[in-house]
Amino acid sequence: MAEITNVRLMVGLEIHVELATRTKMFTRSGSPACAEFDDAPANSLLDPVVLGLPGALPVLNKSAIEMAMLVGAALECSIARETKWDRKNYYYPDLPKGYQISQYDMPVCFDGAMEIPDPADPSGEHMRRIGIIRAHLEEDAGKLLHEAPGGGAIDYSIVDYNRAGTPLLEIVTQPDFRTADEVVAFARQLRNVCRFLGVSEGVMQKGHMRFEPNINTIVDTSDGREIRTPIVEIKNLNSFRAVQRAIEYEYAHQPKRWQKDGVEMASGRKTTRGWDDVKGVTVMQREKEEAHDYRYMPDPDLLPLVIDDAWRESVVSRLPELPHARAKRYEHDYGLSAKEASALTDERDLCFYYEACVECVGAQGVQADVAGKQAANVVLQAGAKRANERGVGAWELGISPQQIAGIIKLRLGDEIGSSAADALFEALCESDEEAAAAAQRLNLLQVKDEGQLAAWCQAVIDDPANAKVVEDVRGGKEAAVGRLVGGVMKVSGGKADAKAVKEKLIELLKA
Amino acid sequence: MADTTPAPEPLSEDVVRKVAHLSRLAISDDEIRTQTTRLAAVLGYIERLRELDLEDVEPLNNPMDATNRVDDDTPREGLTTEDLMKMAPGSHPPFVKVPKVLGDGGGA
Repeated sequence: MAEITNVRLMVGLEIHVELATRTKMFTRSGSPACAEFDDAPANSLLDPVVLGLPGALPVLNKSAIEMAMLVGAALECSIARETKWDRKNYYYPDLPKGYQISQYDMPVCFDGAMEIPDPADPSGEHMRRIGIIRAHLEEDAGKLLHEAPGGGAIDYSIVDYNRAGTPLLEIVTQPDFRTADEVVAFARQLRNVCRFLGVSEGVMQKGHMRFEPNINTIVDTSDGREIRTPIVEIKNLNSFRAVQRAIEYEYAHQPKRWQKDGVEMASGRKTTRGWDDVKGVTVMQREKEEAHDYRYMPDPDLLPLVIDDAWRESVVSRLPELPHARAKRYEHDYGLSAKEASALTDERDLCFYYEACVECVGAQGVQADVAGKQAANVVLQAGAKRANERGVGAWELGISPQQIAGIIKLRLGDEIGSSAADALFEALCESDEEAAAAAQRLNLLQVKDEGQLAAWCQAVIDDPANAKVVEDVRGGKEAAVGRLVGGVMKVSGGKADAKAVKEKLIELLKA
Repeated sequence: MADTTPAPEPLSEDVVRKVAHLSRLAISDDEIRTQTTRLAAVLGYIERLRELDLEDVEPLNNPMDATNRVDDDTPREGLTTEDLMKMAPGSHPPFVKVPKVLGDGGGA
């Protein structure tokens, strides 16, 4: 048999986002995707529409459709002028009505794209554009459990219908991904965008977002053939790690499967697999019913929806500045590096915290570019370091944007040194004091007294351990003075102004 | 101009059996025969629509001359867990008891 000379990966992604409306898609029962109801007891978010009782009529949730339009706009999609609702018929115990209301041939959003930084480009400047085929609204099903709460064995299944009817936005991309890293970068960015838009908190453990990659490979063989392996869809992945691992597993195994069975991609040969996170393998699932077996039909209980220009404009005008645009603005206006800017925008809460810091610094009369740069330094250095150590976000350290602005003001006024600023940051994480008052109390303010400065410098010059360095500086090697500055900073307990120290040392040594 | 696409295959008993299965209807072989005849008559009636000139007719998705019935996103009281437990054929409170199924569901 011919040998495999090269394998390329091809992936398209389906993403289900539970929209965080207060109520369900087609009825006003509380929705568990909203923080208000997310710890509701099992089977407490119910009404006749949720349970599909005879005579119950669905009514569309205005917020759900507007959230979908917002996501569509953020993904550069066209928004349908007219859309409708269809029934997707299948029987399963988690689906009380016997059908799911979805959008079959007239999705609310279509033909979009999202750009992600190319994970293969270390500079972070090259972008990859991922096409969006469509984004349509549908309702979620209930949750089936196969063991009793607490883990007891049961010889039947049990259902909680709280999730039934929760609005889901299903986003479908073009098969534009070439690596698992690209898929994960896209998934993370989409989560972040949804959080900025306020349409989802994006808590993966709560199932707010679920991913279903469609994966196949293009295999080149030594006899010059190009083989496409059959598409595999992996169902219901709810962590980025699982997305990465499942795709890498298929990338490695599809060419081997083809070598064994010779089956190539063709219509009707798509299979569905699940991901076993413990064993780290994908496993074959029950064959999905063919699409036409869902017997889609327009839902006669729901009226079509017409989205006129005025409505669309009013929703799109609420689109907030998206993370990528913010990052570009930080680079341009504040002179941040691409890396710094993306670190500040990759997480919504950190980004909002940073912007509050910039605003507080600006409110003290500091120029905008300086405020932006200084706040970035504090948040990404003192903040990120501690956040990392404590396993929390920098915005959760207990230090307020006002306090951070206070530290920056002291720094810019040369009233505290850099190590003192760090110590002050640490102290303010545990205190509500103003920065200046805390610096005073902790004796962190720089000593400006000329006599004290000269005394510290002289002591370091006279220290026999420094004799060689002193001689070097006197001999013209001015760069060596850094060692002595360090010595003075140590003697002063960090309270001397390093710049003043350097000047004083040179003055004393040249005398 | 009338629809010129070829007429569909005559309805077979296998198709009826499959549709009955998809709809989870228990249906005997005798009933399959009678249902196939009756369904074929219904489909034959609908076939007459193919004689109409539908060139400039937009598909009608809903017979009501109305659109955009939407509701504000404000929670309202619904049914209680007890209501559901009373209605359910079997229960494991506060859950509904169903035959053992594997997998995460058929759709979504």
